Amino acid sequence: MKQLALPSLALGCAVLVFAGCSPSRGVKNPSGVPVTEMKADERGFVAGTGVESQDLVAVTDKMARSILAIPQIARAQTPPTVVLEDVVNDTRFPINRNIFLTRIRASLNSKAAGRVNFLARDRMNALERERALKQQGNVTASADPHVVEFLGADYFLTGRLEGMSGRTSAGVSDYILYSFQLIDARTSAIVWEDFAEIKKQGLEDAAYR
Amino acid sequence: MLRRLSNRSSRVLGATLAAALVFAGCTHTPPTRYVPITGDALVDGKAHLEAALPKDRVLWEYRVAATAMRRGIFDEARAQLDGALSQAAANYGNISAQAAKSRRMFRRESDKPFIGEPYERALAHFYRAILYWQDGEPDNARALLRTAQLLDSDTADKTYAGDYVLFDYLEGFVTSRLGGNGSDALARARANARAQGRAVPPDYDTAANVLVFAEFGRGPQKYSDGQYNERLKFTTTPSAAQSAVLEVAGRRVSLPAYDDLNFQATTRGGRVMDHILGNKAVFKGTAEGVGDVALVGATVAADNIYRYDGTYNRDAANVAIALAAVGIISKLTASATTPEADTRTWDNIPQYLSFAALRLEPGEYPATITFLDASGRPVANGRRDFTLTVAAQSESIGARRQDTVVFLSQLFN
Repeated sequence: MKQLALPSLALGCAVLVFAGCSPSRGVKNPSGVPVTEMKADERGFVAGTGVESQDLVAVTDKMARSILAIPQIARAQTPPTVVLEDVVNDTRFPINRNIFLTRIRASLNSKAAGRVNFLARDRMNALERERALKQQGNVTASADPHVVEFLGADYFLTGRLEGMSGRTSAGVSDYILYSFQLIDARTSAIVWEDFAEIKKQGLEDAAYR
Repeated sequence: MLRRLSNRSSRVLGATLAAALVFAGCTHTPPTRYVPITGDALVDGKAHLEAALPKDRVLWEYRVAATAMRRGIFDEARAQLDGALSQAAANYGNISAQAAKSRRMFRRESDKPFIGEPYERALAHFYRAILYWQDGEPDNARALLRTAQLLDSDTADKTYAGDYVLFDYLEGFVTSRLGGNGSDALARARANARAQGRAVPPDYDTAANVLVFAEFGRGPQKYSDGQYNERLKFTTTPSAAQSAVLEVAGRRVSLPAYDDLNFQATTRGGRVMDHILGNKAVFKGTAEGVGDVALVGATVAADNIYRYDGTYNRDAANVAIALAAVGIISKLTASATTPEADTRTWDNIPQYLSFAALRLEPGEYPATITFLDASGRPVANGRRDFTLTVAAQSESIGARRQDTVVFLSQLFN
């Protein structure tokens, strides 16, 4: 038996060395991951350093609360009319530019219904077509279609996303400043402005560096 | 006695050989499905994408996207690029178990999910930026151009960090168009162009409503080099086409090569992964050396199993068996070590990128693009006729300004 101790030990080592060769071992989630329902304001397991839903929720909630507190809205005799002007994306991440303003608008409409009127400027094509049909008598009208009733804006609600990014061997860093403004359409005065800022950092696996 | 020991020896050797047979094939390569080839690059590319292993999906998405761009099937290109870029972006801040495994001694680098080298990822961002611009979202196009430039910023030699000409130029162009100041980006673009000896891009014409993107030449291909193919290298074949000219509405618009992907691929310098593969190669070489020495030793010891007087030398037999086992294990270990560099290549990539902006009234224009060689003569099959359609701006209240974005390629697939 003693004669075989050394070779047996060597064979045992070989088994240990190659034990990790089985292709199915060490694979995480070989059957995939079932759909996981998450809250929009929580960080998911596929998060990156870009703009994500938790950022959207946090930023727009803050902005909606902030807008409601300003005198032009809180103490207005008649609800001011507001037009949403595209958010300018000045970061390195492509975003749906409307989603921030859509959420602010929906939040204001649901929490402060009647205190602000938003104008559907993004639907003007359809609205103008409908008015033209009424003016031509092709469809009925409840009022004189030749009288201009499209409302003008009292304020423009807009925003800007600006970023500062860096990449080194230590990883990638992304800072994003979210700023939103309410602009008086008559005077161009900025009657309200607020901001939020988020910084994220990440590092790729060495296999990609 | 002699017979008994011989049996033992043969059993041990047999077990060792059996182990060799068992473990020789332990480098597992998952099977890929057979894909019938039709000859249509888009159909074949999508079929390959359908059959691809998850780790290769982005590679096929890139290839299909490039073909779709060249055929003007922009919805297809958009979908493929979105899939590919989301995969690439998810690598920041998320631990990729598959990528981590590809660094192991007995796993190939090509086991990691492919997202491409920086020049490949930069081109994917560039293509998607063109599509964003086409969709009337120049700020999102600018976002991707910035990311593309950032991808090129981690070069070994910082002289070549973030040195794409067009990415900076177009970033400044969008900024100027949106009412900002794009002069810094323009200055960077011009500095990069001068440093690389390329055409210097012109001043911004922010009133331009037709944006022409052009590409020509075949871009870099990857191969592996080194004793164990552990070094990633690039084959660069200079394109016959060195520039292009667009003739439309009685005008000749020059499309010089502002960026060269051959240059970008070969100026990145060493990767972190190259060190890992280098270590694997050293380990493999050492294991092979140990195996050689042990097997030679085993042979010498085996020669001394019988003494001159014919008696059996038990110690020599044990040494021979032990050395043979060590040698075989070392050889097996060396064989299982995989330092080969990942040479999966986005193989339908262009070499040169170009851009021009011009003003045209709404309408349809017969147009011609001609790809030219270094002496300014048309290259073979280098002329394409097409109709350039400039859409009228919507006069509806609140309508966005919409540019006409044209993508022209010398490549067919």
